[in-house]
Amino acid sequence: MAEIQIEFLSSSVLSGKQPKQKLSSILDLVKKGKIVVLEEPLSATEEAELISSTMSSIGSKFPGIEISRLGESSEGIRAAAIKLLGGKTAGLTIVGPSSLVRQIKRNPGKLSVFAGK
Amino acid sequence: MSILSKFVNWLSAVFLRKHKFSLGLYGQVNAGKTSLANRISLDWLGEEVGKVSEIPHETRSVTKKEHVIVKAGGRTLEMNLLDMPGIATKIDYKDFLRYGIRKDAAQARAKEATKGIIEAIKWLEKVDVALVVMDSTQDPLTQVNITVLGNLEARKIPVILVANKIDDKSAKPERVRDAFPQYAVVEVSALTGEHIEKLYEAIAKSVG
Repeated sequence: MAEIQIEFLSSSVLSGKQPKQKLSSILDLVKKGKIVVLEEPLSATEEAELISSTMSSIGSKFPGIEISRLGESSEGIRAAAIKLLGGKTAGLTIVGPSSLVRQIKRNPGKLSVFAGK
Repeated sequence: MSILSKFVNWLSAVFLRKHKFSLGLYGQVNAGKTSLANRISLDWLGEEVGKVSEIPHETRSVTKKEHVIVKAGGRTLEMNLLDMPGIATKIDYKDFLRYGIRKDAAQARAKEATKGIIEAIKWLEKVDVALVVMDSTQDPLTQVNITVLGNLEARKIPVILVANKIDDKSAKPERVRDAFPQYAVVEVSALTGEHIEKLYEAIAKSVG
């Protein structure tokens, strides 16, 4: 039976990191075959940067990622104010290697992850 | 854009009622972006933009047609048409093998496709108006569509959603409206040209 490792990252683990560091640490975990669950929604800009970084990393052993976000993108003045006050925006993000995560189905309030080798 | 070129555009807009802008076609792989770019370019320039193929990632670099003059909504618009590579989060060269492509060519295609996606993402901040093309036969609520729309919204770039492939019997363009009710949606068939005039009117409206 194939093992599936899921890593949950709290907002506090990521909050101290620079945006590039944050995305590269997520991608590093995913490249190791882990499914990463973030305790916050990534912003649309961060998602686009993560896709760009993924494209630069694609090779014969790493064909890419599956990603999905639940909740509003953590962008804009409201999200910035919440973060400044030490709070966190509601939602989460799931990122996994596409070699393992076949599909993430989404409904407005629900994500279903289909994984397996 | 330099101050001089902004001034020239302003003069054109005021005295010639001509609006000059760049129009980017975004969306997932095989949503019909190049078919739509070809339709627009054929209608107004009489020539195609690029090759269409059932094999994913046929468009692997940003393809441009400049000085496309469109008359719609009682106005004359001059645009640079930018057909973007389809955005994806994964590219496995093995997926190309089933189309009869040799392994080395499939690997090269995958490499070019990754570069194309990076280029398309960089262009997100350079377009003036974006058409986000969605395949009406598929579920539109995908992370790629959400990410593209979120980035355009963050940059305050006007967006028109194009529910494409309405000629297909399995098309359900209403799903696009239901998934993204906050955006203007135009239902078209890039293949047959159905409702294409409505798209030109929506573009004219979006440039203010």
